[in-house]
Amino acid sequence: MTSVLAYLDPGSGSMILQVVTGGLAAVAVGAKLYWRRLMRFLHLRKDEPEAETASKAEAP
Amino acid sequence: MATLDTPTSTLEPGSFRDPDSRVFYAGDAVLRALSSEGLDDFQALQQAGLLDDPRIVATELLPEGPELPVPLVKGTAGVLRHEQIPFVSYPYEWTFSMLKDAALLQLDLLLAALDRDLVLKDSSPYNVQFRGARALFVDIGSFERLRPGEPWAGYRQFCMLYLYPLLLQALKGARFQPWLRGSIDGITPAEMRGLLSGRDRFRRGLLTHVFLHARLERRHGDRGGEVREDLRQAGFRKQLIVANVRKLRGLTERLRWDPPAGVWTAYGERNSYSDEDAARKEDFVRDAAGACSPRLVWDIGANSGRYARIAAERARTVVAIDADQGPLELLYRELRDEGDERILPLAIDLADPSPGLGWRGLERRALAGRGRPELVLALAIVHHLAISANVPVKEVVDWLAGLGSALVIEFPTREDPMVEKLLAPKRKGLHPDYELGFFERCLAEAFTIERSEQLGSGTRILFFARPKQARPPA
Repeated sequence: MTSVLAYLDPGSGSMILQVVTGGLAAVAVGAKLYWRRLMRFLHLRKDEPEAETASKAEAP
Repeated sequence: MATLDTPTSTLEPGSFRDPDSRVFYAGDAVLRALSSEGLDDFQALQQAGLLDDPRIVATELLPEGPELPVPLVKGTAGVLRHEQIPFVSYPYEWTFSMLKDAALLQLDLLLAALDRDLVLKDSSPYNVQFRGARALFVDIGSFERLRPGEPWAGYRQFCMLYLYPLLLQALKGARFQPWLRGSIDGITPAEMRGLLSGRDRFRRGLLTHVFLHARLERRHGDRGGEVREDLRQAGFRKQLIVANVRKLRGLTERLRWDPPAGVWTAYGERNSYSDEDAARKEDFVRDAAGACSPRLVWDIGANSGRYARIAAERARTVVAIDADQGPLELLYRELRDEGDERILPLAIDLADPSPGLGWRGLERRALAGRGRPELVLALAIVHHLAISANVPVKEVVDWLAGLGSALVIEFPTREDPMVEKLLAPKRKGLHPDYELGFFERCLAEAFTIERSEQLGSGTRILFFARPKQARPPA
């Protein structure tokens, strides 16, 4: 199964919120997400270009 | 078998958003073209055993046929045939409990799907239709295989088209229908936030689903691809969606809206006023419905649904239309609890009926474009249209004639207490056309009056009439 993007824009804020609404199962995910952002902030100091991540997501 | 090779298949203009699935019609058949991904998803749904769920529209995969003239961008790999819905309706015509039941259906099916490693790719109330008072999920194309690490794409849409409209009416007493009619995508988190007071953040669920939602959307508005990838790498999994959906279900289940006390009183008394007029009206309607054997009846000004129920003894579907959501809400609850599949209550003001909406004004069809009735009941409504809404009497009759349906119409004379009440606040001499003789002449011009009967009170006259002009195409 290829990982295609859904036709509906899920909204990035709405996606992040799903970590908050995910209950106990979400604690580890939230921590990892926060860590990832922190690392990016410390080392890269800028976000990855969106086109690159999008094409990664579309690769089979 | 549907005539799949018919050259006259037409696309459903409201079904273009999903590139993997598109509804079209061939003759009487309702069909859906699927792309190859769409077909794989459908087969996964079939294997999961969810397709036989009675809450989902009856659907079958047609054997491969000749090439179809269906321009799915991705090409057509398979075609489904769906059961027909007797009368299409939209959320801005539903009462509070209808939207709430559709929301619960959406969430319950999502939970059932997640349990089988499937998901619903969107959360639109336009994916739900009503067969009578029974909610039915109609968008088979919405089921897809769950992709590991992906959040629930339909969460934002659920908030905008289900949760926020319900909150608006349950918490603020503001009707949600004008909002949904005004915006095909619903209420945004920022708009909903603006409608709430600071104290509302302490209400259950509102801090996350509204306040935080609006804030996160403002901060992360344009980072969709990046967030999706971050979540996947952080180990986002199905359990998070399940937890959210369960909580949303609990929140939705608790939302309540009740019509004002006066509506309850009138509704409770609807069958106890056993005056002679009401009984004769029932007989008149029963005879008319028997004479027409209608497939579809519109009861305009249906109120508590007393006469819609009589018509439903003879008709397959009765659409019970009223501008007032209150009695319809009570009627819907009663019909739903009875398991009724014939009477569909819709909150529509006929002086301002649902227009065509969305892309090209065709995505959501106008009321008149959704199937013409064979019989229209217009009981205790003419005076409201002619006096309250100021529609000239002749135009009311001409509009009814344009429907091309047989008609049961009640005319309360100027001496009727209800008419006197409506005329009282108006300047003297207004509405000179609201007069029995003139009404009868207008009616006789467009219709053949088959029967008329003066009710015992003397101020109300019933007519049964058939149109002189042949039915226009629907």
